Order: sequence, then structure tokens, then C-alpha cells
Amino acid sequence: MTTYDPVSLKILWDRLVAIADELVLSLVRTSFSMNVREGYDLSCMVFDAKARLVAQGTYSVPSFTGTAPRTIGHMLAVYPPETLRPGDIVMTNDPWMGTGHLFDVTMLRPVFRGSRLVGYTMSVTHLPDIGGRGMASDCTEIYHEGLRLPVCKLRDDGVLNTLLLDVVGANVRVPEQTIGDLMANAACNEVGGRALLEFMDDYGLDDIDSLSDAVNDHSEAAMRSRIRDMPDGTWRNSIEIEGPGHPVTLAASMTIEDTSARVDFAGTDGPVRASINVPFCYTVAQSNYVMKCLTIPDLPNTMGSTRPVTVRAPEGCILDARHPWPTGGRHSVGHFVVPLLMGAMADVVPERVQSDGAMMNVFSVQGRHRDGGDVSSLFFLAGGLGAMHGLHGRDVTPAPSNMTVVPTEIWESRTSMTVESREVLPGTGGVGRWRGGDGQKVVFRNDTGHPLEFALMGQRTSFPARGLAGGGSGALRRYEVNGAPVDPKARIMLEPGDRISMYEAGGGGYGVPDSQDA
Amino acid sequence: MTTGNPDTGERWRVGVDVGGTFTDLALVNDATGAMSIHKQLTTQQDPSRAVLTGLETLLARAGVAVGEVSALAHGTTLVTNAVIERRGAKTGMLVTRGFRDVLDIAMERRFDLFDLSITFADPVVPRELRLEVDERIRYDGAVESALDPDQVERATRTLVEEHGIEALALCFLHSYVDDRHEAAAREVVAARFPGLTVTTSSEILPFMREYERWSTTTVNAYVQPLTDRYLRRLEDGLARMGFAGSLLIMTASGGMVTPAIARRFPVRLIESGPAAGALVAAFLGEQIGEGDLLSFDMGGTTAKGALIRNGRPLRRYEFEVARAYNYKAGSGLPLRIPVIDMIEIGAGGGSIARVDDRGLLAVGPYSAGADPGPACYATGGDSATLTDANLALGYLEPDAFLGGRLNPDGPIETRVAGPLGISLDRAAWGIHEVINEDVARAFRMHASEIGFDYRRCVMIAFGGSGPAHAVRVARKLRIPRVILPVGAGVMSAIGLLTTPVSYATLRSGQILLEDLGAGGIESGFRPVIDQATGLLAAAGIALDDMSVERRLDMRFHGQGHEVEVVCSAGISPGELGKRFLDAYAAIYAATPIDAAIEIVNWKVEASGPSPEFARGYKPFPGASGTDCEVGSIDAWDPQAGERRRWPVLDRYALEPGQTVVGPALVREDEATTVLSPGDNMRVDSMGNLVITLAEEEA
Repeated sequence: MTTYDPVSLKILWDRLVAIADELVLSLVRTSFSMNVREGYDLSCMVFDAKARLVAQGTYSVPSFTGTAPRTIGHMLAVYPPETLRPGDIVMTNDPWMGTGHLFDVTMLRPVFRGSRLVGYTMSVTHLPDIGGRGMASDCTEIYHEGLRLPVCKLRDDGVLNTLLLDVVGANVRVPEQTIGDLMANAACNEVGGRALLEFMDDYGLDDIDSLSDAVNDHSEAAMRSRIRDMPDGTWRNSIEIEGPGHPVTLAASMTIEDTSARVDFAGTDGPVRASINVPFCYTVAQSNYVMKCLTIPDLPNTMGSTRPVTVRAPEGCILDARHPWPTGGRHSVGHFVVPLLMGAMADVVPERVQSDGAMMNVFSVQGRHRDGGDVSSLFFLAGGLGAMHGLHGRDVTPAPSNMTVVPTEIWESRTSMTVESREVLPGTGGVGRWRGGDGQKVVFRNDTGHPLEFALMGQRTSFPARGLAGGGSGALRRYEVNGAPVDPKARIMLEPGDRISMYEAGGGGYGVPDSQDA
Repeated sequence: MTTGNPDTGERWRVGVDVGGTFTDLALVNDATGAMSIHKQLTTQQDPSRAVLTGLETLLARAGVAVGEVSALAHGTTLVTNAVIERRGAKTGMLVTRGFRDVLDIAMERRFDLFDLSITFADPVVPRELRLEVDERIRYDGAVESALDPDQVERATRTLVEEHGIEALALCFLHSYVDDRHEAAAREVVAARFPGLTVTTSSEILPFMREYERWSTTTVNAYVQPLTDRYLRRLEDGLARMGFAGSLLIMTASGGMVTPAIARRFPVRLIESGPAAGALVAAFLGEQIGEGDLLSFDMGGTTAKGALIRNGRPLRRYEFEVARAYNYKAGSGLPLRIPVIDMIEIGAGGGSIARVDDRGLLAVGPYSAGADPGPACYATGGDSATLTDANLALGYLEPDAFLGGRLNPDGPIETRVAGPLGISLDRAAWGIHEVINEDVARAFRMHASEIGFDYRRCVMIAFGGSGPAHAVRVARKLRIPRVILPVGAGVMSAIGLLTTPVSYATLRSGQILLEDLGAGGIESGFRPVIDQATGLLAAAGIALDDMSVERRLDMRFHGQGHEVEVVCSAGISPGELGKRFLDAYAAIYAATPIDAAIEIVNWKVEASGPSPEFARGYKPFPGASGTDCEVGSIDAWDPQAGERRRWPVLDRYALEPGQTVVGPALVREDEATTVLSPGDNMRVDSMGNLVITLAEEEA
């Protein structure tokens, strides 16, 4: 077996990550999906011939941290490697095999060098639409949420499966956009395959398996050495979050034992009749994300980097929701895994944890533009970021996932609504030695001349972002229509001339405040 | 020495580039190609002093009278540094009621999701200096509520009298559609507060997206007073010297502007130094008949690259200044100005090598800079830097350093080789090679992003560290030929002389191709062309001497990123659609899809006549008679995996037409070229080193 010294390994490893990054870049730029282009709700990966993850694109949201090895396992169980041919592309959007909801499609393409399979590339993106009711809180079964594609071939030995595309096209609202994004995924995997072969040529590699061994062993060792720096023991935390009409409890313990970490979500409530249930793959991704933030934030994701961390959840709980529970908005519960685990580790690594953030506000708007066209879009707003030891939480900044501001000028021209104001809400961040970030207040007026439907999915409306180490909680998120409070998970009809005001939550503070600050 | 000649008296021009350490000057006779160069230490307190002193020295040395100089082309880092060091004016801002916090809300985005301790640059206008006024123009240009001039006056009075602002930014929503409120507010302010400099967001760039437009506007306002003072000192000083030619200022887009335009849009001067480097690469390409080029400039702290297609450096309308966190994209202030599209990576002679969190070798982006500098400078630095590694490998000569006493091996041993458990040679080579890989990767990534095939290109390399790395980087990119231009130490000053006066701008205006009526393309471009040509006309350029380039940003309706399409006057919507599909397919290798196509931004660049520089320049007389081989050195031979004796050549003793087969080191004042074994080097008629790479090594 070839061995690599710290110079060669660095050079070859970085080049592999660059291949994955190149895929990401090409996907972002050709995507129709707003989540992809504004929030990098996508990921791209490179695997060796043994289907082990060896590199992942640098930019992607936490939902994809460490999910790929499971997905490829499911795909190869259906189409074993020895049956694959150079022109194949395998895909699925199965929530339990992929990344937790129907919106994400995963595509896998084998890479052949001559007749020999030397690896795979994979891409995952959030599609603009997959049919069903769209992103909303009020689906009660997975069947409401859209089209589910089992593991299938988009292309078989070079022949495009047009029937499959027709089926997708017949089930979505704007077929050219969803199909455009599917084809963009196929194209980026082509680019990735070429880049991988070129890389192998450049360095005279016949396979990447021994390089993959080195990369995976090395990242595992780096991760283990950081975990070893933490004291052994078990720490617990439990939080309540907003469910459909009743609170939901999430509980976790984190056990550090020498060089391993064990996360266990025992004590977590069962699933709910709303599309906020979380398939286990997503729970694992968020747990891996926390471990990465607390240890080596810039360690590239590999299979090895997640080996020291095991994750368990009670079978069928809301963090291990099974078919046919709806999962479309799995982020609105799943994102809370991050503050849950950060809270558990607050006394163990006090200088690395971050207090609770405000969570993102995602809502959809449907209606008619003043000029007569359809308006149907998802929008995002951020509240305040949690503080850390030594750092105030930044105002109006999302966590743990990402987004990009929708400028007022774009918002208004796309919807013909008027954004009356957009301002930081001073004092909404939690107090603390380091203050939580402030939220914002945004007021929309329906000037479209038609009714507008708002589907709200707000969190942090009953349970605030908590501070750590004596820091205070942030203010709650709330919504008003014409000055009167409304249910934060409702579908609301905004009549012409009506105003909806969104008050975004503040982040938690860190540390006991100075007396003059309190 | 060249003497002034009355016959060619009107043909001398000077390029002056003010850098952080040196002010570089190049004097050129456009008729004969004669050139003299000079380096002067930059005077940080008042950079105009070094410009004037340097100019006097250079002219005296060349025997040219100041009256014979027809133009002085000037590039400066003044504006960039003022923003980074926060030395701009106290600046106020008037905004549409309800939108005072746009600069704080910013992008609502984290540029790194895993590192929780990231920080962001503060806006140049603090919250207390931003005041709101009632006014509202809708996205379609309709006035929803009129501007109240009294509110404008009262708010400005508060900012002036209570806060003492010197500059004011006027930033209203949707002013890219209709600028009447910003223009009216400007009139009120100009009438009541004549001492204030005022910038409006619609004149800066009528671009849709208020945060980026307003960020650009506030930065412009912030640097306006200081730019004005600097230009005045320079103009006064030049006038005192008897200079009667025209003064031109370099912008980031690679075009020159008059002092009047520079005073109005000083934000456009940011990042103009590297732009000049890319221009000179394009110019050299033209000289040798190569249109597709990679320009590679590596200095002490950063490496910069630009891709040049058909003789033109590629542009974009995005830049970020004053990055606040580890040089990371997203941590600075966004600017929407036309810039030459540059790759910038934290890789230079001062880049520090270390063991990273993975337990592997990493080099940069942290730099020892010039102070304390690489260990081998013996000026107090104890980091292992790239320069130390190059010295240890034998790629630089010890006597190239005044200090030279300290052994570079020490820090490489203790900070890299020891902790990683590898030999000293392996560590030094690793540092050298990691930088090559980083540069190659950045080029590769960027080229793929814009669909640029660099494999047929020529690389033009310069900067203090560029020539030591160019050949290895080119080999990784499978680029067959590398050119190391003569005068590499003053490339930017020379680049200033190659480019015409020009003004590039754009306007946002979304429309579906199918909705374009007859004359729709022409009427979309008209206001943009009028602004650009109007500014040039005011600079004294006749309309007949102007050339106008039109480009469109286009995409499939529903996408978020655009593809740039070049178009000519009178193009039909059908032809435009076809060009878009071609460009799209070329970049993304993606099957075109059946979706509506839309125009997003209308871009125009108006240029004056090109300077008469096309005949090239001859900075140095050919040295004859002396032996070019001045010694030999033990250098690391990567193919052999051991040290070998390599000859050292003196670049100034090489003659045009001479050829050399590597390995060799070619020494010149500011840099050393590393020629690998088997590479062929030829000196061309201008004195450039043209290297043809040997066939792929094992």
C-alpha cells in the first residue's frame, strides 16, 4: 500500500476537496432553487471505489454533514457496483435514504477509468418544487408532501430515462425549473468525473483507495485527538420547542470516553402530525455538525471524521421519525439538535460553545402580483445569533443553517408587496457578559390588489433562545396582522391593504452580565 | 541615457504606481519605445511627495524636460488603504424611512458555517450618522410618497452641526429605476451645505440590491474628501514643476479616468494596482500575438491572477474590501464597481508555513510581510516562510539578502520538519510545492467557474516571487509556455501606460427576451450609454473617438446567477437568445433547457482612443560581451529527488535570441527565475524570457 507523507497528503487531499468544490460552484450557478443559490442548500462529494467518502465540498449547510456514506450504501444495495456502467446516473429523493425530506434529490455517478470503477461523485440539491403542498407546517402524512422517487436510474448506460422526467414534470408546478435542476445535477457529476480522472492522471494514481485510506485515517486521528482533549463523562440537556399545538421535548446526552463521543437522544418525544418530523439521517448530520464546530471546524468532511462519533435515538421518536410521518419542514425541529448539544457541552468546552440562536424564519407567500402574474415563493428572515465566550452574538444573522438576505428591492418587484420598514430591534438579544444578537422587525403591506396567503412556520415563539453560563434569553419571535397577534404556525390570508409585521427573535447571551449591562 | 528630442517632445508619457513600499515610475517615448524606470520609497504621510520627487529624479536622469511629458498615468493604493485603515472622512447617510439599518442587516449570512467565531467588517457610516427621510419610489418607478426637501435639510443640518460630517451619502430605495428623489435631495444639500461632498447611490451604480449599492455609495462618500485633497496636492505639485500635460488616474476596471471623474467616483480607484499588472500582461500578449493568457503576479503577501480572453482581461462588478476575518470572502465590505476579475490568494514570499489542525503542512494565508519578514532577512522574523524555503532549496542566492546571516533552515526545522517528522529538504520542497498547488488550484477553480480553457494559454508571470514559481505552476496547469517580462519590478507602472481613458457602468433592468419590443434593446442601453459617453465627453474626448462596448447579464428566468453575453448595436432578440444559449452551454457543459430567457443588467463601457504604445518598449540596452553565467548553486532538483549543481545566470547579460536549456536560475534585481531541468528558455527581441516547458515529467 502506498503511504503519503504530510506534504503529499496535504497536496492530494486539498485537490480532492477542490474537485468537490468545483461541483458545488457549478451547481449553485445553474440552480433555479432559491435555497440552493441563496443558502447553499446543496452538497457534493467524492467517494473511492469502495464507496467511502473521501471529500465533500467546503460550502454546504450542516444538514449534509456525514449523511453521504449512508445514502450511497442505500443506492448500491439497489444497484451493486459490479452492475454499474459508465453512462449510469442513480438518483433518489427518499427522505430516509437521503437527507430527510423530499425536496432534496441525491445523484450518484460512477467514475470509470477505462473499464475499471475507480470512484463515484455525488450531488445533493434542494429542488425548487417536488409537487404536493410545498414547504408548510400542516401536512400530516408524507403523501401530502410530494413525489417520492425510490432509488432509480436517471440515466442507464448513457440513455436518459425520459419517462422518469415526464413523471416528475407531470407532478410539479414549474416543470422546466425542477427538470432544469435535475439536469444541472447530472451535468455537474459529469464535470466531477472528468476532474477526478484528470487528477489521477496528474499524479499517476491508478486508484484512489490508498489515498482514501490515508485521508480517512488521518481525519479520524485528528478528530480523536481533539476528543481526547475533552474530559471523560456524560453531560445532559433537554429543551422544549414549539410543536403543533403542544410543546415537544428534545433530550440528549453526550458521552465522552477517551477518543470517542456518543450522542444519545433518549428522553425525546415521539413524532407529531405536522411536517416537522426528522428522519434519523438528518439528526446524525446535525450531531456531526456540532462535533465539528466543537473540535476542528475546518477539518474537511470525510468518512473518517465522523467515525469517532456515534449517534443513537429512541426508535421512532421525533428525531428518528419513520415512514409515513411527514418530514418536509424537518429543519424546524432538526436545527434544535445544535443548541441542544451545545447546551449539554456548555460546561465541558465553555470557550467553544455558542448560546442558542434565534433560528431562521422561513415562510411561503402565495397570491397574485399587481401585474397579474403568480406569486409563489419561499422567503427567509434571520433573527439574532447566540453569543460566545469573548464574542457578542451578531445581529440579524442565521444559525445553524444559512441563507442570504432577500433585498427589499427584489422582494417588492417580485411580489408587488411593499416592505414598509426593516429595522434592527434593539434589546432583543439576551443580556450577558457577551450579548446575544438582536432580531429585526419587518413590516409588509399587501399592495398587490389581491389576497395573499402566508404560510407561517415560526419557531422561538414560546421558547426563547437561551443564554449560556449565566447569559439571558433573547426575545421571542412574533407576528402581527394589522397590529393584532396571530398564530405563528397558521396560514394567514392577507387582504389588500393589510399589514403583517414580523418580529424576529433575539439570540441568547453568554456569561453573567456586568452590573451596568443587566 | 536618452536625451530629449524636440521632434518627439510631445510623445513622452510617465506611468507612476504608488505601492505600499515603493513608488514605481516608468517613462516612455511612444515614438521610439525608449523607456527609463525608477523606484522611489513611498512617502506614507503624503504619497504625492514620492510621486513628485521620483518624477524629478527620473526626468533628470533621462534628460527629459517636464514640458516634454504629455501625460502622467497614475495608480495608487491610497483609497484601498484609507478604507482598510479607516482613515476616511466622517460620513453621514440619508436613507428612505424605515431602512436605516440596511448596512447592519447586511447579507443576513454567515460566510463560514463551521467556525462560530467569525467577525465582519463594520460599515464606514456608523448607525448614529444614518438618518431617515420620508420618500418612496416604487419598483416600477411610480412615486408613492414625495420627497420632503425640509426633512432633507433638517437631517443634513443635524449631521453637520451635531456630528460634524464632511461627506454625505444619499441612499434611497429603487433609485436604480428612477433617481429623481436622490437628485432632488442632492440639490437641496448642495444649495444649503456647499462644503459637503455628496454621493448618490444611483450615480454610483444603478444596480438593484440596496445593501450592495448603498455599501458602495457610503465607501465612495467616505473616501471622497481624502481623494480630493490628495489629487489637489498632486496637481499643485505637478503645476509647480511645470507639468502641463494631462493627469490620468487608474481605476480597478483597467481604464483611466480624469481627475474630475476620480473625484466623483473615488471608490473606483480601489484595487487599481493589480489591475495594471493584468493590463501589461494583456499588452505583452498582443505584442507576441497571443490573445488568451493567464497573468500571474506574486509578491510578498499575496498572489494574484487574471484570465485574459482575446486580449482583454475579464471583468466583473463585484469586489470586497477590508476583509475582517482571516482574509475570508464575506467578511469585508461589498463593492459593486467594475473591476478586473482577479483571483487573490494569501500566498507570497512572506507566507508562513505551519502544521495545521489536520497535522499536515499548510502555508499562508498568514504572512510575515516585510516586518518582521522571513527569517532569512534577519530582521527579527522567526517564522518559516516561503522565501526561507526557496533560499533553503537553492532557488534564491544567499547574497540576495542584506542580512543573510541567519540560516533559514532553523525555523523550517523547528516549525515544520521536526513536528511533521520529515527531512529538512522535504519540508522546504513541501512549502514551495504547496504554494504552487494552491495557486494552480485557484486558477483551475476560477477558470472552471467562467468556462475558460487555459490549456492553450500562455502564462505571463511577474512580481517578486512569481518567477520562482511560474514554471511549476504552469506545469500543473499543463500550460506549455511561460513568459517572464522584462521590467517585472515596475510592471504596474508600465501597465498604466497601455490603457485608454474609459468608463464602465451598468444598470439593472429585468425584462424577458420575449417581452422586448422593437427597439427594446436599444432603448435599454440608451441611458447607460449616455452616462458613460457623457462623462468621457466632459473629459474632452470627441464622440467620434469613442468606442462603446455593450454587454448583457442574462439568465434563464428563475435562476439567480447570470451569464455575460457580448452584443453589438442592432442585434436582434433572436440572435441574443442564441448567443446566451451558446455562452451558457460553454460555461456549464449543461443541456440548455426550455425556459424563458431574461436580461438582468445592461453593461456599457465607453473608451477613448488607445495610447500609442503599440510599438512596445525597450527598457534596457542589450548587454554584450559579458558572460551571462555568473556562478552555480546547489539546488533541489525535484525530478532527481536530490540536490544538484545548477548554473546561475545574470538576466541583464542575456542577449536577444539567446537560448538556454534548464536547469538554471536566472537572477535579476527583484526576482529569480527557476528553470526546471529540460525546460527551454529563449530571450525574445524585447528582452522577455520565453520558456517552453519540457514534456511531462514522470
